[in-house]
Amino acid sequence: MWTLSLGFLQLGGLLGGGSSPVDLIVYILLTVVSFAVVFMYGQRIQAYSALRDVRINLEKLQGLKDRSRKEAIDYMTTNMKAPKDVQQRVDQVLEYFTIMPVDMDPSGIVGKIEHVTNQQDDRIRAELKSIAPQADPVQLSVEQNILEVATSLNLLFKIVRHFYIQGQKTKSIYIIVQLQMILPMVIQEADALTSAIEAFKLAQPIGDGLGPIVAGKLMVGKEKTTIERETVYAKNEYKGRSIIALKAEGPMGTVGRPHIGVEKILNDQTNKISTIIMVDAALKLEGESTGEVAEGVGAAIGGIGTEKFRIEAAATQKDIPMYAIVVKQSLIDAISVMRKEIAEATDKVVERIHRLIEEKTKEGDTILLVGVGNTLGVSQ
Amino acid sequence: MAQMFPSIGEKRPKMPVFTIEECPSCGTKTKRAFKFGDYVYKEGGECAKCHAKTLITMVYAELIQVK
Ligand SMILES: [Zn+2]
Repeated sequence: MWTLSLGFLQLGGLLGGGSSPVDLIVYILLTVVSFAVVFMYGQRIQAYSALRDVRINLEKLQGLKDRSRKEAIDYMTTNMKAPKDVQQRVDQVLEYFTIMPVDMDPSGIVGKIEHVTNQQDDRIRAELKSIAPQADPVQLSVEQNILEVATSLNLLFKIVRHFYIQGQKTKSIYIIVQLQMILPMVIQEADALTSAIEAFKLAQPIGDGLGPIVAGKLMVGKEKTTIERETVYAKNEYKGRSIIALKAEGPMGTVGRPHIGVEKILNDQTNKISTIIMVDAALKLEGESTGEVAEGVGAAIGGIGTEKFRIEAAATQKDIPMYAIVVKQSLIDAISVMRKEIAEATDKVVERIHRLIEEKTKEGDTILLVGVGNTLGVSQ
Repeated sequence: MAQMFPSIGEKRPKMPVFTIEECPSCGTKTKRAFKFGDYVYKEGGECAKCHAKTLITMVYAELIQVK
């Protein structure tokens, strides 16, 4: 006890006070009080500091959201010759929502989801066309892509704000800390989304356009047939085999409807498809290198799953093997201008396709090659 | 688990974008700065060697190290 107070007294000396019993009492009191404060209000103090952290990130998110909205409006007024007062209509589009079908009785849900998402797509397109009737198809698709980014950011911002306010009201550290934990990733994703706008505005191919570039390689100079909305195919040959290459119709920024294309081609008895090869971009894990090519089996297609479902169902029904070739990339690379590493991977992918065809098929077979992805800035 | 949190990637610095034009008859490749309106598999300019029509075969961004 004596040594302990001696410590306090020395500290008191540092602060300019003398070493009197009054000081001793003051310091003991201070210690007790601070212990009590930490004990009783510690969590609350932590909540406040976390809340402050969240607020800073929320402001950043708001900045990104506002920027993407402004980009969407600017693109409309400058490139698509929309009237100057489009703000209100853009804001309306940003608030569009889609009600997903009920999944209590999952039988047939894929068709229902598809029905709703197609309708959502049609609705936005119709809206854009009515705002800017003079815009060409590429501009319309670009604006749709920018709006998608703006809508995502708008939603992210609103959700974070919701939990921030809830945390503020309840002072519940559990709500606030959970938010604080995921925020770094949310901000990273928001940054990535914002950086995609640059490529969209200039209609440059993005990392996700890898599949379309590969399929397009086999379609250049061949006769193209539209098989479904914004989806085209062409026939080519390789070492005695026929190849039907399918991709979304470029250079618009669209993913097309490859699943319907695959269904139609497989169901057409004259085609006699023996093998399906799908090429797509895949999100990499940390540590994997950008542009790495990997092979596997199954339907290589992302999205909410409806496309994948249809392709799998059609291939299973006809008992056709599905091979997948993917090129690894991060989210930011997938939605920004294509990097050199990914562009160079396209030749490697073509090599793999050739090898796969030689190993897994025989002369006279017909192979369906699907280039999956957003075909912005990639024709055929 | 990790599939739910894929790599978002590093913030990219501003990278210059290039267009590659390839001549289908003599195979000459030319690399130039991207011009608005370029897209992959669009007809390019005239080949400097054999005056055939070239084809844009790639558009990509490249990180140029400034030392
Ligand atoms: Zn030439």
